Amino acid sequence: MTTELETLQAGTILSTTESVCPECLARIPATRVARGEDVFLRKSCPEHGDIETIVWRGRPAFRTWVRPKNPVHPTKPLKQVDRGCPFDCGLCPDHRQQSCCVLLEVTMRCDLRCAFCFASAGAAGSDPDTAVLAERMRRLFETTGPVNLQLSGGEPCVRDDLPQIASLAREIGFTFVQVNSNGLRLAREADYAQRLRDAGVATVFLQFDGTRDDIHRQMRGRALLAQKIAAIENCAAAGLGVVLVPVVVPGINADNLGEILDFALRRQPVVRGVHFQPVSYFGRYPAPPTDADRITLPEIMAGIEDQSGGRVRVENFRPAGAENALCSFNGTFVSMPDGRLFPLTRPRATTSCCSSTEPVAPKAGSCCAEAETVAPLEASRCSETAPVDGSARARDFVARSWAAPEVREPVAPLPGPSFGEWDVFLARARTHALTISGMAFQDAWTLDLDRLRDCHIHITDPDGATIPFCAYNLTGTDGSGPYRPERPVGK
Amino acid sequence: MTTPEEPRVRCTQCDRKLETASVTIGYMESSFQVDLLRCPKCGQVFIPEDLALGKMAEVEKQLEDK
Repeated sequence: MTTELETLQAGTILSTTESVCPECLARIPATRVARGEDVFLRKSCPEHGDIETIVWRGRPAFRTWVRPKNPVHPTKPLKQVDRGCPFDCGLCPDHRQQSCCVLLEVTMRCDLRCAFCFASAGAAGSDPDTAVLAERMRRLFETTGPVNLQLSGGEPCVRDDLPQIASLAREIGFTFVQVNSNGLRLAREADYAQRLRDAGVATVFLQFDGTRDDIHRQMRGRALLAQKIAAIENCAAAGLGVVLVPVVVPGINADNLGEILDFALRRQPVVRGVHFQPVSYFGRYPAPPTDADRITLPEIMAGIEDQSGGRVRVENFRPAGAENALCSFNGTFVSMPDGRLFPLTRPRATTSCCSSTEPVAPKAGSCCAEAETVAPLEASRCSETAPVDGSARARDFVARSWAAPEVREPVAPLPGPSFGEWDVFLARARTHALTISGMAFQDAWTLDLDRLRDCHIHITDPDGATIPFCAYNLTGTDGSGPYRPERPVGK
Repeated sequence: MTTPEEPRVRCTQCDRKLETASVTIGYMESSFQVDLLRCPKCGQVFIPEDLALGKMAEVEKQLEDK
């Protein structure tokens, strides 16, 4: 007979999905299991046994974190379904979201050697020729149209021709080009930011793990705060937007969220957003993780509220309208001259309109089958309106929010009668709106194929395929994976 | 701060001339102090076109989210 304790320990099965075994990367069934407010991904490999991994801790409650949307399949799938998800990425016709942001890795070299690196980048390696990259960008543009393009690596700024690559991207037709960087060269060479700006780069997606050098030493191997500040100052002078990107690791910088936000707010308007990334275990990492080594999205949201003294509230975060709800949160906040923060995101509905426990994919016939709405203010609720291209909307939002504002100082009130503080708010909204977001990448332990099918952050590989970020970077415990050419399965 | 021009606007319910008053506008979760015309009897506020179609619309555009 099952005891009450055993029942509690077993938890409640919420829904089913598929995942992979972290040991052999075989696709296996998985269940989402709730114990109290925590949710785990539970799976069993016939060869390697049972695996259970935390994917959601605490509030906002897992069941409320929904944003139903209709699938938008790739218009030009480059791969056919053969082995099944996640082994036919390219994209395949079963993928449920189009590309929003696509990464182009211009080098595998890097001038840091971080304890955590999804790309396992290092000092050595050769770079693809500029002409090769140009051809890859042209093929990408033919397939996806003007997605947001992120020049990534390795550290892309180690290439002397990076401005030329950015310029080519703009000529091909990409309207929003950002550079994913550790900031070292941007700090070292005062005119480098201006060269990127002149080449058409809009934003630097800046590795920024915290406001203390002990954090940088633990995660990146050395003190970097002074370089980060110099890089931001140089970007400000050049008119480049900056998004701070902290990878959040329990025991290293999870207590620094509030200070990171204060740091960002002090550097508006050049800093456009903070994009938190809970640590994932793929590529290079110190050791295979236990649940204690993980932090989940609700913990980061709650941590931001606690550490900001309530100036930023969990209620003002919401799931995004393009990718799977469980992959991210976002909110936008306008800072006033006296330091007050006004949210531009409405409080989220705290209960789902659907009684289903399935928070991911809309089911035909349910009230959410016709879900995603045109009116963004009501987008978390069901409606009868037509589906919209959430990926295109997210792409436009990112481009608008993360680029440097056209005016860098608070502008004069709009024409017409003065409305006091309202005018101040309007002026600040144009220059001092900060996006605060988080994205939970999936690794071999947490991979949920329902989430992966909804992914809209992709990497274009050397063969021209467009592959979801978490699939491309997937690695098993032996470091091999299905996609990265430098670490193929089969060793 | 300048106050809105005082047009000859009367309350259609009370037939009283509107007067400038400090009004708290609640928007999203935030409150803003704005001087607007208000009926001294029933308290109804007149939202001028500049505010409704210009400045409020400006904020609505900011609200388009991901």
